[in-house]
Amino acid sequence: MKINYKKIVCLSFALSVLVGCDDFLDVDSRERVTEEDSGENLEPIAFVNGIYGMMTEWDYAFSYLGITEIISDNADKGSSPGDPGGDKGLLDGLTFTSTAGSVEAMWTNWYKAIGRATYSISYTENFGLTDTAYKNRLIGEAKFLRAYHYFFLVRAFGDVPLQHVNLTVRVPKEEVYDFIEQDLLDAIQVLPKKSEYGSADLGRATKGAAQALLAKVYLYQKDWQNAFNYAELVLTSGEYSLEPNYAEIWRVNTENGRESIFEVQARGESIAHGVQQYSETQGARGPSGWGWGFNTPSQNLLDAYNAEGDVIRRDATIIFRGETMYDGRIVSTAVENPMYNEKAYSSANAGAGDGDKNIRVLRLGEIYLIHAEAANELGNSDKALASLKEVRDRVNLGEITTTDQNLLRTLIWKERRLELAFEHDRWFDLVRTGQAAQAMQANGKPFEVGKHELFPIPNGQLIQTPGMGQNPNW
Amino acid sequence: MKNFIFGVFVLLFFQGHLHAQDIKGKVLDENGLPLPGVNILGSTSSSVSDFDGNFSINAKVDEPLTFTFLGYVTLTINAAENMSVSMKMASTDLTEVVVVGYGTQKRTDLTSAISTIKSDQITKQPAFNALQSLQGKAAGVNIIANDAPGATPTIIIRGLGTAESGRTPMYVVDGVVTGSIANLNPNDIESFDIMKDAASAAIYGSNAANGVVFITTKKGKLGKTTIKINSFYGAKSILNPVKMANSSQFVTYFNESRAAIGNPDRLSLNQPYNTDWYDALTGTSFSQGNDISMSGGSENVTYYFSYNNYEEDGLLEGHKVARNVLRSNNTFKAFDGKLKITQNVSVAFTKSTPKPYSSFTEAYKQAPIIPVYYPDGRYGMSFWNKTTGLPDYVIGPGQVGGRLNSIGNPVANVNYQNEKNKTMEIQGLLQADYTFTDWLTATTRFGATKSNSKTRIFNDIRARYLTADPTRTLLGFQNAQNAAPTSTEFANNSLSYKDVESFRYNWDTYLTASKSFGKHNFNLTAGVTKERRNDVYESFMEGYGVPEQENYWNLDMASLNYTKVVKQYYYTPVNVLSYFGRLQYNFDEKYYISGTVRRDGNSTFKKNADYWGTFPSVSVGWVLTNESFLSDIKNLDFLKLRAGYGEVGNANVRYNTTTIITNAGSANTNYVFGPNQDLVFGGAVGSPAADLSWELTKEINLGADFEFLNRRLSGSFDYYNRLNTNAILNVKPIPNSPASENYFDHGGEVRNKGYEIALNWRDNITEDFSYSIGVNYAHNKNTLENVKPAYDGLTGGSLGDGQLTKRLQEGQPLYSWWLLEADGVWQTQAEIDANPHIGTPQPGQLRYKDQNGDGVIDDRDKKYFGSYIPKFSYGINVSLAYKNFDLSVDGFGAGGNKVYNGLKGTRVDAGENIAAETFNNRWTGPGTSNTNPGANRDALSSSYYLEDGDYFRINNITLGYTFKDMFNLSRLRIYGTAQNPFLFTKYSGFTPELNNSGIPNETAGIELAAYPNIKTFIFGVNIEF
Repeated sequence: MKINYKKIVCLSFALSVLVGCDDFLDVDSRERVTEEDSGENLEPIAFVNGIYGMMTEWDYAFSYLGITEIISDNADKGSSPGDPGGDKGLLDGLTFTSTAGSVEAMWTNWYKAIGRATYSISYTENFGLTDTAYKNRLIGEAKFLRAYHYFFLVRAFGDVPLQHVNLTVRVPKEEVYDFIEQDLLDAIQVLPKKSEYGSADLGRATKGAAQALLAKVYLYQKDWQNAFNYAELVLTSGEYSLEPNYAEIWRVNTENGRESIFEVQARGESIAHGVQQYSETQGARGPSGWGWGFNTPSQNLLDAYNAEGDVIRRDATIIFRGETMYDGRIVSTAVENPMYNEKAYSSANAGAGDGDKNIRVLRLGEIYLIHAEAANELGNSDKALASLKEVRDRVNLGEITTTDQNLLRTLIWKERRLELAFEHDRWFDLVRTGQAAQAMQANGKPFEVGKHELFPIPNGQLIQTPGMGQNPNW
Repeated sequence: MKNFIFGVFVLLFFQGHLHAQDIKGKVLDENGLPLPGVNILGSTSSSVSDFDGNFSINAKVDEPLTFTFLGYVTLTINAAENMSVSMKMASTDLTEVVVVGYGTQKRTDLTSAISTIKSDQITKQPAFNALQSLQGKAAGVNIIANDAPGATPTIIIRGLGTAESGRTPMYVVDGVVTGSIANLNPNDIESFDIMKDAASAAIYGSNAANGVVFITTKKGKLGKTTIKINSFYGAKSILNPVKMANSSQFVTYFNESRAAIGNPDRLSLNQPYNTDWYDALTGTSFSQGNDISMSGGSENVTYYFSYNNYEEDGLLEGHKVARNVLRSNNTFKAFDGKLKITQNVSVAFTKSTPKPYSSFTEAYKQAPIIPVYYPDGRYGMSFWNKTTGLPDYVIGPGQVGGRLNSIGNPVANVNYQNEKNKTMEIQGLLQADYTFTDWLTATTRFGATKSNSKTRIFNDIRARYLTADPTRTLLGFQNAQNAAPTSTEFANNSLSYKDVESFRYNWDTYLTASKSFGKHNFNLTAGVTKERRNDVYESFMEGYGVPEQENYWNLDMASLNYTKVVKQYYYTPVNVLSYFGRLQYNFDEKYYISGTVRRDGNSTFKKNADYWGTFPSVSVGWVLTNESFLSDIKNLDFLKLRAGYGEVGNANVRYNTTTIITNAGSANTNYVFGPNQDLVFGGAVGSPAADLSWELTKEINLGADFEFLNRRLSGSFDYYNRLNTNAILNVKPIPNSPASENYFDHGGEVRNKGYEIALNWRDNITEDFSYSIGVNYAHNKNTLENVKPAYDGLTGGSLGDGQLTKRLQEGQPLYSWWLLEADGVWQTQAEIDANPHIGTPQPGQLRYKDQNGDGVIDDRDKKYFGSYIPKFSYGINVSLAYKNFDLSVDGFGAGGNKVYNGLKGTRVDAGENIAAETFNNRWTGPGTSNTNPGANRDALSSSYYLEDGDYFRINNITLGYTFKDMFNLSRLRIYGTAQNPFLFTKYSGFTPELNNSGIPNETAGIELAAYPNIKTFIFGVNIEF
């Protein structure tokens, strides 16, 4: 008997050793879709959608405000004096350095968006789509978005690395512009017009968007003829017309409307998916407020509107403390700051993390002004005045008739400021037109010529790629 | 020869006595008191002494009988009629048996560093989690306490060895491998054995890098049934509250700040309220525990059964934890004791109603001029009337209103938090040992833990909305709801349920052979084990707009206007297959050598090349006192030198996400298109996934154990140097690369080196008076070394307001403080203009050092200020026994680290309250202070808020009295305990023990929402019959 038990013990012991074979270690992943399992599911369009998605990132709200608006003479940091908003106070005061978080965040995010675009292009090309027009359209969208982000980089930092070439070598900004132009020219060839897209695709990059962006790209290079030509193409395309009421340009009801050329799409309902906290960070702060109160209109901007007698655009751009807004909301007199940015106001989702309102990126109003500026530089003041008139008529401002090229130039620049305030154009426009030093110093900001025209290469980048070199005087 | 002749005589003359018979006797202790439960082993049979110390055993006269009893020196005496045996208490720990993993060993035979803590040390301090009671008891085992009810203390053995991987040690409860011991009743624990060095822990291979903690639970002992009852009741309160500024101080501070920034708003000097928010928020709370156990056994069966009920309130109203634990531990012997079956099962039911710790922060920051409740009964909020300077929310015509701060009402937030957690955990063990011969045993055991938990959270959105702004009305809410009928922001409420089920098991099978050949003693263990863990199911459901009454809180009754949220997923389980072996050899108990080897295969790394790894160790020992040249030295009773080397792994590593990112929510891979703005889902490439394997830690340990002065002084010393050779770091991709996500990669080395000393003195002064004093000290130095270029530099320690405090840097401890260095206070504007500064500071604000001398102050001027992890820790344990009285005092301290007073520091808007000390020491004009800023401060993180983390606390004072032979009870003891009655620290916040989540790059070491230290006064009784 005893021996039998011994045998049983021996046997079970041996068995337990035997079952310990390698199969036991084959455990399938249940949490994360492995690359090989996911590749079959993702169509190229998913990766293209992913590039657009990048524009809804948190940094495209808060950091973006910092380096496009708060830094400029249009806006102040806002919020409470004791809340620096990270580096927003430093950007406002022009005392930021290469360690400013907002600068690094945007540098990084622009490059990540570019990375997504480049990946989408090669993925789409190699995926084996049989519908050539569709395939080309996807590639066109990706190229448009890549150009859009490189355009930010070149304006903000000057010479920058082309990501697909070398991460550590900065190429001259002319080459960056060449690359941007090539992408946009390619995109113009293949992208459908706004009216040619199916309804479900409303919001995708269009031929008109690529042309409009290209006009702006040429404007920055003072290639007046090309800027003029591409602006003209957009104006005469028959796809767009001005919204009759300026105040409605930034409201939900005109999203992707007649004037809209390109917008960042946002929806407020669950699952809410707007640019993360774009509205909230700029909402009125304090009792009965709905936001953090950053990026507030400056006295300087208010003065500029008042000097021009520009009531319509002033009231459409600025929320005043104590006012009753178009949707009936009474802005309490107890809110912290006297003025807020109305273009960021989301009526239905005020205070919610994600606003419901699209962010206008390119619209016909600006194309008129590009057209006017380029025409003026080309000596064609008739065309310039005609385009300027379109913009001013809408807001009940008198016609400008001067044909003096220099005077007209400054008038167009001023028009750009009033028309496009809080549309993330002011800082780059100041630098482009050479007004930055004068405008900032007039506000008591320590703008240094030869330094502040460009942002510093972020310290975090230089730690990892020290050979890249810093911008002058930073 | 003499013996032989004597034997022959005995044979001839006492023949009758040589037949086996019942030998009767009595076992007594040193004091002549009967010792029950002593095991008596003869050559053919065994027995146990009964309650009165009497025994009877079938043995021959003069046959050697071995008497063993835990805590007493084992004795072998020849059998005699009516023998009386006196057993001596083992005077030191060296005779004890230590769990070494797949076996046990005598402490004298040990060649590695293992600390043991016995049950009396554990139950001295009633606690939810027994780990809390270990604080200060074992050198090098640093326990960071958390006084919140039901909290799990953090245990760090020999320093923090990893930046990103698992930090908790491995727990083995009677052979069952588990991740936490929160389900254990501390009264069920017989002992803790903590493997500190790699030489001992290597037998657990790839899981052992953070040390291994063995828990042995109680078993029945041979003899009569013993019933024990333990009960205690305790009252708790905050140990060292921070004195906050009162209303008038706050008003002064606020007005000074407004004046400094040129803001005309002022608070009135006559304030109607003077709220002490901590008073309003906290009160005295209670804890209690009741425990009953029954144990006993006969030759073939032993049993232990216990039931424990533990309840504890938190300081916050409604915060409660209750746990009920049932345990049954049984052993059965069959086939003449050759087969032994051990069966343990424990079932723990835990219920808790957590409350938000953030309320402590809010109570710190909310202004004292704000009432807890307005006269109309609504919660006070930080609204004020700028015209009158009073905390009114009603703003008259022509008046201006404002908000002092964005802090909520802490009392309201505690009341609104409505969360219930229920957990049931079953842990079981089934083990069979079969003894083939006297030297060979086979063991197989299966241990498993199954746990189920359910969390219900009800959020009264409407009430919170109305409370957030007292000017809001119910009608306004309803209008908003009607205007946005699908927006969850204006839903009446939300209700969610979360269910988690987890299962893990280990199945070990091994052979143990133990044999001596003359003076050569061998012990060999070899086996195989299979383990499965991380087998977790999780589901989460949420709906909005359920009926208000709790009995209708079903998601089926949620409003149909809102989309319900359903999330469910499985974790990927981890399977581990291992082979292990250990060979121990000693010559004449003088020279010891021990080697272990473990080979682990881990499914996590199956896709990588290295998913099998070998973890060896070797250790040697030399007992000098067993050498003839040392054996006769007076006062030197025992001296052993030890040296060991081992390799252990940490397989609890972070995973690299796959290269494709998708997300079903609002994420940056998704977008909306079309007139209805339908959400479209997209994807993006993440980061290149680097192959990962476990972290491999190598350690050298040198040590000595000693006993002097007639074994009155005993102790040990250990030196160690452990190196995590391939630490995984969280790597930030180059900013301008396409890789978008941080990824994990082996990229550095983490070194911890230090030493530990433990000394214990015990003596009897008279028959009635004995005492012992134990002290221990451990020192550790932590450094990150040999980092791959650009792999360090990751920042962390966010204060939640955009300010960071820590950074991972080669040459520094893991995630050291990295801050601007406060360098006095700006006294005048002229001084600011003449020196480098950051932003546009004003006089009275902190001045920072331009470390790199480039004329500007920015991140490049930040400096390293050491670590939040204590460099040293120490404990002192004193106990006295005089007649029937017993007194024990235990203290624990740590230091050499820095902690960040984040309460004092974050986003100072002057509308938030300050400590009275901050108020009293502030700068008020040129020359008033060059250390403390004025009321108008900046919000930058800096060394100003960094303070020494040194502390010493008396964590236990217990006085007990034992009644002997009262009411027919064998033991009745009553005692009073003061838990944590004293804390000595210079730290200005609530507690310097700030581990928080324990994640190094998060708020570990930062006081933001820390639970204050608690003192508890306990009265208890122990009964035995």
